[in-house]
Amino acid sequence: MDLSFSQEDEHFRDQARTWLRENRPSEKRPLSGPEMRVYDLAWQEALHTGGWAGINWPKAFGGRESTITESLIWFEEYARAGLPGIDARFVGESHAGPTLIARARDEQKAYHLPKILSGDVIWCQGFSEPDAGSDLAALRTRAEIDGDELVVTGQKIWTSYADVADWQELLVRTNKDAPKHKGITWVICDMHSPGIDVRPIRTIDGEAEFAEVFYDEVRIPLENVVGEIDDGWKVAMSTLSFERGTAFTVHQVQLAATVERLIQIARERTGSNGRPLIADEELARSLARARADCASLQAMTYMGISRNAKTNQPGPEGSMLKLHWSELSKSVSRIAVGMIGSAALSRSDLTDGGWVYDYLFAFSNSIGGGTSEIQKNILAERVLGLPR
Amino acid sequence: MNLLPDSDQEEIIASSASFLESEMPLTRLRELISEPARVDEKFWQSCAELGWFGLGLPDSAGGLGCMLADESLLLREIGRSLAPGPYVATVLGARVAALGGAADLVESILAGQTRVGHALLADDAEWSGGSLTGSMRLVGAVGADYVLAANSSEAILFSTADLKDVSDEQCIDDATSLQQATAKAVALSARVTAAEDPVYHRGLVLCAANLVGIAEAARDMSAEHAKARVQFDKPIGVNQAIKHPCADNALRAEAAWAQTAFAAVTIDEGGTDGAFQVLSASIVAADAAEQNCAVTLQILGGMGFTFEADVHLYLKRTQVLKRLLSDSKTQLAELVSLPTPA
Repeated sequence: MDLSFSQEDEHFRDQARTWLRENRPSEKRPLSGPEMRVYDLAWQEALHTGGWAGINWPKAFGGRESTITESLIWFEEYARAGLPGIDARFVGESHAGPTLIARARDEQKAYHLPKILSGDVIWCQGFSEPDAGSDLAALRTRAEIDGDELVVTGQKIWTSYADVADWQELLVRTNKDAPKHKGITWVICDMHSPGIDVRPIRTIDGEAEFAEVFYDEVRIPLENVVGEIDDGWKVAMSTLSFERGTAFTVHQVQLAATVERLIQIARERTGSNGRPLIADEELARSLARARADCASLQAMTYMGISRNAKTNQPGPEGSMLKLHWSELSKSVSRIAVGMIGSAALSRSDLTDGGWVYDYLFAFSNSIGGGTSEIQKNILAERVLGLPR
Repeated sequence: MNLLPDSDQEEIIASSASFLESEMPLTRLRELISEPARVDEKFWQSCAELGWFGLGLPDSAGGLGCMLADESLLLREIGRSLAPGPYVATVLGARVAALGGAADLVESILAGQTRVGHALLADDAEWSGGSLTGSMRLVGAVGADYVLAANSSEAILFSTADLKDVSDEQCIDDATSLQQATAKAVALSARVTAAEDPVYHRGLVLCAANLVGIAEAARDMSAEHAKARVQFDKPIGVNQAIKHPCADNALRAEAAWAQTAFAAVTIDEGGTDGAFQVLSASIVAADAAEQNCAVTLQILGGMGFTFEADVHLYLKRTQVLKRLLSDSKTQLAELVSLPTPA
């Protein structure tokens, strides 16, 4: 057991840190709309030019093909540089792209992969539906084969960045008579196609990052199908082995940094009794517990990567990390709004308004990307062998 | 970077687990409850012969020169087995004796002839100029010739023969001896400052490893019960009200071991964030053991509340282990006061 990184890895860390320091965008990221798209794509282009795009992608497809340790280091340094973790580039580089690499035909790869890496296009995801959330395979958006096209009618929901996306990884039902996992097809959908209607969803934080997407007889060429017709479930699952346990590294580093910032604030600010906030034992203890829990989140990341490096198989780490991080992020944001007095009521407070936003946003962490309840089912059934 | 045990470490795990399983099953532990010291002398001797008390002690001091990570793997198995006896105090006692001016004691501690228990000093206790005065509770000290106490600045070792007003108490853990005692200007046999050696932090890692073993044992016990126990014609584990607490147990055990391993290796490598990682491990592991035992007792239902079922043995040992060197209030205060690691 060791925590030391090889000389090559330390060199890689220096390189990554230096590059990020010299090339990180100097302006603040716009939170929505065409300005955000331009910003995110420019950043992707910069990463590509610098040789950092597709950190996990094979060299054959223009990626960096990093080792798992390099990938960990990259995400650590990326988060430490204070860059946004999940932005509009996420689906293309970390979900749709890897799926294409695993399952697409050569001409599909040749057309789409370079555009993702170089920052020409934004991808979004079309998986969840109003009646297919945790039970994703219950999805009902229909696709009928008509000549050399699929004709898609139905509705998707919780699509991030649908308004700025060029392409979508879309799951549709092509066979309603087959068992639910066996009648699904994974298809590349052009978001500019006629018949697509994107409606933003206003969420509790006041933002509209997610959207509903409606499909009214949208025609998609059959050549956009990835894998076989009705084999889309397996295609969608093929990305699971791709991220190798580093998917939450950025989140983990950011959350630890948040806890450290809260401790700093609690030391510097005085409460109504004239003493530093940290003199409140209850607050001090909850901050200490948050520190310990964040440390364990990092240790779990390292443990997961150690296992992955050995077995090359994704284990239950993903579910454990997601569950631990999302619940912890909620408790940290609760501590934060408990520290700031009446500023916890103000969305406009220039100093503390961000904590209020974080508090509201954090509720989505244990819902999106697989609810905490689903992660617990996975853990109980696949790790502990409990009956379904 | 690799937090998985290497092949030598796998051997430590496998050999200690099989030895503990065959030589110290819970049926034997239940027999020991009726004995004052709760320690099987013959078994303790066997542990000594296996080199367990000097595993992490440098060769030059008579130990085996292994890493704290190795000791942690061993203590995790000891925790899982609930083997009774003051393992952490004895391991630390040998270290304090070796580094703190009582080298003559080391051999007999390592040989299993001299046992070291824990002294939990009361607030009135103070030591200066090499002598200790104050009241204390002694844990696992019946039949022990020495006791050890450690905090973030110093670790001390002193003789039980010098203590006054020693009276037996009934410990919450039936398999651990408990006494009250007073020291009046008791001469310290050995002392080591934190600057000389992180005895306190090493001890917290060993306790954390012990607690991880318990958290994992409880996790497995409740999962097995959830599969086997049938009510309403189905195993109770099909219900999410049972399944989800079992999953929480798995997560807590995983987080606790990952952090304990991380802390052990940080100490082994002399990392500047040693205290940060160790205190985190101690807090997370104590929480995992305590909550996993409580969840398991609930999942076992009425059976879980009986003396016959084993879950209370884990629950009670957890209460002892989480207090052996310092309590959680102290550890949380120490952790929050540390600077942000580089």
